[in-house]
Amino acid sequence: MIASTGKTLHFPVVKVSKAIITAAGQKQRTLPLQTLVDRDGVPKSALAILAEEITAAGISEIAVIVCPGDEAAYATAAGPLASGMKFIPQTQPLGYGHAVHCAADFTGDDPFLLMVGDHLYTSRISRSCTAQLLETSQSGKCSVSAVQATHESKLPYYGSVGGRRVPGSERLYEIDTVIEKPTPTEAEQKLVVPGLRAGNYLCFFGMHALAPSVMETLGRQLAAGPADLSSALAETARRERYLAYEIQGRRHDIDLHYGLLTTQLALGLAGKDRDEVLALIVESLVQSQAQA
Amino acid sequence: MANLIDLIISADEDVRNRALDAACAKMTLAELLKEAAELDAFRRQSENLYQRVRALLFLHSIHRFHLPARLVAEKSGVIPFKGYSNLLERRFEEAIDVFLKTQAKDGPSDAISSALASAYQKLAFQTLADQVRRSVRGVRGNQWMFRMGHPADQPLRIRKELTRRDPNTGLFPVLRERTPVRMDLTHCGWSDIFFLGMDYPEGAKVLNISVDLTVHGRDKHPAPPVEASLRVIEQPVLRLTSVDLGCTADISSLNEVFDFAKDYLGLLKAAVIASGIVPPGIEGSGQDLAHLLERVVGPGRGLEIVSNVNNIPKGSRLAVSTNLLAALIGVCMRATGQAGSLDGGLEENERRIVLARALLGEWIGGSGGGWQDSGGVWPGMKLICGTVASEGDPEFGISRGRLMPTHRILDTTDVPEDARRKLQESLVLVHGGMAQNVGPILEMVTEKYLLRSEPEWSARKKTHGILDQILTGLKHGDIASVGTATTANFHGPIQTIIPWAGNLYTETLIEKTRTEFGTDFWGFWMLGGMAGGGMGFMFAPERKADGQRFLQKTMSETKRLLAAALPFAMEPVVYDFAINERGTWAELLTEKDALMPSGYYRFIVPNLLRMDRRALGAARHAELDRFADACRTRPELKGMVSTLFDSIFPDVEEDSGNRETLAATLEKYGFDHATHEKIREDLRAGRIGLAQNRLPANTLIDDVRESDLTDIASGQTLPDNLRKLGLAALANGEVAVVTLAAGAGSRWTQGAGVVKALHPFCKLGGRHRSFVETHLAKSRRIGRLCGTAPAHVFTTSYFSHEPTRRFLEQHDHFGYDGPLVLSEGKSIGLRTVPTVRDLRFAWEEMPQQTLDVQQQKVRESVRTALIQWAQSTGEAADYTDNLPVQCLHPVGHWYEIPNLLRNGTLLGLLKKRPQLKTLVMHNIDTVGMDLDPALLGHHLASDAGLTFEVITRRLEDRGGGLASVNGKIRLVEGLAMPREEDEFNLTYYNSNTCWIDIDSLLSTFQLTRGDLTDATKVAAAVRTLAAAMPTYITLKDVKKRWGHGQEDVFPVCQFEKLWVDMSQLSSIETRYIAVPRLRGQQLKDPSQLDGWLRDGSASYLESLCEWE
Repeated sequence: MIASTGKTLHFPVVKVSKAIITAAGQKQRTLPLQTLVDRDGVPKSALAILAEEITAAGISEIAVIVCPGDEAAYATAAGPLASGMKFIPQTQPLGYGHAVHCAADFTGDDPFLLMVGDHLYTSRISRSCTAQLLETSQSGKCSVSAVQATHESKLPYYGSVGGRRVPGSERLYEIDTVIEKPTPTEAEQKLVVPGLRAGNYLCFFGMHALAPSVMETLGRQLAAGPADLSSALAETARRERYLAYEIQGRRHDIDLHYGLLTTQLALGLAGKDRDEVLALIVESLVQSQAQA
Repeated sequence: MANLIDLIISADEDVRNRALDAACAKMTLAELLKEAAELDAFRRQSENLYQRVRALLFLHSIHRFHLPARLVAEKSGVIPFKGYSNLLERRFEEAIDVFLKTQAKDGPSDAISSALASAYQKLAFQTLADQVRRSVRGVRGNQWMFRMGHPADQPLRIRKELTRRDPNTGLFPVLRERTPVRMDLTHCGWSDIFFLGMDYPEGAKVLNISVDLTVHGRDKHPAPPVEASLRVIEQPVLRLTSVDLGCTADISSLNEVFDFAKDYLGLLKAAVIASGIVPPGIEGSGQDLAHLLERVVGPGRGLEIVSNVNNIPKGSRLAVSTNLLAALIGVCMRATGQAGSLDGGLEENERRIVLARALLGEWIGGSGGGWQDSGGVWPGMKLICGTVASEGDPEFGISRGRLMPTHRILDTTDVPEDARRKLQESLVLVHGGMAQNVGPILEMVTEKYLLRSEPEWSARKKTHGILDQILTGLKHGDIASVGTATTANFHGPIQTIIPWAGNLYTETLIEKTRTEFGTDFWGFWMLGGMAGGGMGFMFAPERKADGQRFLQKTMSETKRLLAAALPFAMEPVVYDFAINERGTWAELLTEKDALMPSGYYRFIVPNLLRMDRRALGAARHAELDRFADACRTRPELKGMVSTLFDSIFPDVEEDSGNRETLAATLEKYGFDHATHEKIREDLRAGRIGLAQNRLPANTLIDDVRESDLTDIASGQTLPDNLRKLGLAALANGEVAVVTLAAGAGSRWTQGAGVVKALHPFCKLGGRHRSFVETHLAKSRRIGRLCGTAPAHVFTTSYFSHEPTRRFLEQHDHFGYDGPLVLSEGKSIGLRTVPTVRDLRFAWEEMPQQTLDVQQQKVRESVRTALIQWAQSTGEAADYTDNLPVQCLHPVGHWYEIPNLLRNGTLLGLLKKRPQLKTLVMHNIDTVGMDLDPALLGHHLASDAGLTFEVITRRLEDRGGGLASVNGKIRLVEGLAMPREEDEFNLTYYNSNTCWIDIDSLLSTFQLTRGDLTDATKVAAAVRTLAAAMPTYITLKDVKKRWGHGQEDVFPVCQFEKLWVDMSQLSSIETRYIAVPRLRGQQLKDPSQLDGWLRDGSASYLESLCEWE
């Protein structure tokens, strides 16, 4: 049971049934189209793997925000799930917040799951990362962002939150502050969370279950000038109850240096071909050692 | 009976605020020792930082001030060398244990108490310093920098705006931070010392004002005096440039960033570290600076950071260095996204982090100011107050107050616009030209506060009322009342807490200003730690311009009068100032404006123009093109072309004048070139040097027995008949005093080259008195006592003769009735660059005080640089790169008595008083000695040729002593001790006061009174005896001044012969007498003055003097 803090609850007591995947970044637009072998040993695009996890968690409607002209390629990459997906072009490259807001009509007054197209996830428990997040938002009745304790050296890459642990819960935090890519100086002043190891902060995991109010806030901020998702989430934290959930799983960023390789390894090691993948790694190591 | 621990732990504030001195006053020796033992046990088990520190300072005070008075009649003891070496290596706890064990074994003694006093005090300050350091590291926003040890972990990134090169000019943007300096209108009674603020936050309050400055008459309008500029460069280095200190370097290794004293870029390096670009945690990691810069700025790129102080001199007491550090940190933080805005002002939380980083930077650089010093970062006027630590603060549960104070910016209801304008129209800010080390003062203030000494504690409480008066005055625009309050503060609380805060120079200026301006002079205000540097004078607004003119003229004149006596670092200046209402402020200079400050080009361009154009690189080409363009169009760069031309082709060799004066002085004083060359040759060959000063290692050094000397050290009195004998000799004019006044007193002013004899060292009999005046006042008293004023001789040297002569003349010889003669030195030496061997011996072989960790690092870095200096200048080469007086040296006080023979002084005295039989020679700083009739009688009755006075040893009495050397009783100079520890077995220390029988002395020189007219015979006799005296090689620190009040200290080599070695001659009967400490102790270091005043020494001296 999640303790109430007295802040307004803005999360309709309905199940999250819509998801947004953002894939419109100029440099990331081809990443969701990359083919990987999933946990079951089947080759699929990253987009399809992500969509499967979302669908498996009980979401039926998915909107993918793409660069104009990428719709067809994405529909192909989505495979059989393409029929339940909508491809919304971001007509102007006005940043991530704007990309999310392109799906405002799609989400309407409903809560929604927000994910990035260049991340895949592996869970450490039986429920997928997405399922863990949705379950938390359902019981918390508010917006929840998945977070991961992250070393301060990675702060330049992520949005980060400050807050305190919800009493009686191991993985749930009440968010007070959201800062996009903070410096360690700012993080140490505003984002220290009791209970985390020194130099570690709660950074976004790339998936959020958000109340419709967040989309409204984003819309309002965008109307006033440039805005990103973190600024809308920061306002959300000030106005309403907003939680962070430390997911039992790992995120894999395909966009990083060797990101595709490490993502593939993670999927392989988490699935049915684990032994085969391990054998391949050992064999490669031995061969490279012998050559050296 | 009061239990002293109660004064520390009582819940009753009144008990806690009771003075230790009062509580100890009536205790017996046994009671005090018992209390000391209990306090020692208490401080070992207490977990509370401030209880521990108070107990330690109580113990220091008991051993320094209360026990010695009760130990006079006790047997003198010795200090174990093991404890002393622990003390030097900062193992204070171990040192205390060793000393306590000795105290338990041998019984309490003055000697062991002096050692314990020192150890307890050092441990107290170390404990406090450790806590400040922990707090600085613990400030949120600073912690991460200590965790980061690898470039891959560096989370800072340069702001994108700085990485975009302008396509038209090819220049990267320049980020420039300009910061005002701060002045403290209250002088807060040093309440901004961290230790005070952290224990007594309620009492830590200052009114701090950000000001722009310019030197009066130089620029039209005051401007922020310090600025820092930063830009990206296309090389993976840190290019650091200090325009004001004329120094630049491309730094390519991490180790070099942490090497603070290698060059003059220490402040820039501290800023790069404290801002997190090169975080402190990465020191010693062995990582690559280029990799780290790659993370922050991008592959192949680096940063150029430039500091510039607009010709505001050092030591202004306006915290120029700290605010420059803050500006540098600010620009680096903005550039790496650690401040929200790239330009404009800073938010309050950002200013606070700049403050925290500046504290960190000062600690890293081995220096430290008060917590108000970064005040320039804030706008306008603000009240800065200590703050009680609460839960969540790193200090909570450890100290009452936080490290970081709170700033409240005063608005126009606190201080209306009109009042601000009026303040600016009244106040004349000046730099008096003196630069002094305020470090000892800060320790004194802390100690007195923690001891709650009366009347210092009352004075501290009074400062709060003065702050309120000043605030009220400002609120009502009544600047005259502000002046009244600041003047009262200076004459009242400030000088009650620290009598040394004022000096003769400041008082003379105040007096002259008051005489000239009467009621139009509204008040005096002392800035910061010590008078003589930054000061303020308030005038009726219509007289301000007159005041500025008057002060410039008066300061220069007074400085000329006192220049030989007080350490002036520069010519005094008057400032124009304006309150800066926006605090630190940054601009992003782009496109054609993306240039560094003009001073940078004055310094850099000549070097670039000398380079091969192809080696310049495209970026430098573009910059030079743009700069050339700007020189043609920008009014502020008008005249730059001719400035550059002059710096490329300087017309004369700068120091040729210096060389001429040096040569002339050498000539005048009969410099012996042949001997000098021989000394240089011997130095280079290693035949003489510090190691060779020592007696052979197999020499047996033992302490003397009781029968080897007469002992009146413990209050014993000499028989009355001896006193009568002495009085009769004095009445008959048979005695003359010889005060040795040829030296500079290197330790007194850290090599500033002033005449110690003329230094107005203390207020005695109501005003500042010099050593010369004090010694004459003692002779006057004795003269009146016996009816005949004794003859008084001051020996002088090339360096002190003329200033001393003028000084006596100006003061009409202080109305002294008896013969008063200057004996001018006839010997002179030329200092040499030391050999690396001697530097290493001094720094590595001889025991010395290890410093606190960071200061020790800086010291080691300085020493490496000095060794390089010695090597590159040439070991044992003549030292000529300084003012002539700083290159020459007197050749030791042995020569000063023979000089009386050579220069006719003794002959003259004998003509006036043929009955003259005895001389008493003493050091200028042995202020407690006088022509004591009983001691004189003792000397006369003993028939000795020489009677040396010795005192029982304390820890600070280093430099030899009375010993049995291979069975012969004699004095041994510290330099000659075969082993350091030998000195610690000796009970008696040489005070260097020596009664001399004139005829025995002459006979030792194989002369008679009649021979004194034969200059050739006398010279030959002196030469012969000199040859038998050992020559010691010593290293002395000399200051070299340059720029605007900057000073460097160099160790230079000189030689000397010392009078103590007369005691080894068998041709003259030598005796020894142990005298009370008050008579024999010497004042070597200004930091001794406060204890000297408190322990009764000053009152004792006053009892010996008659001033009029």
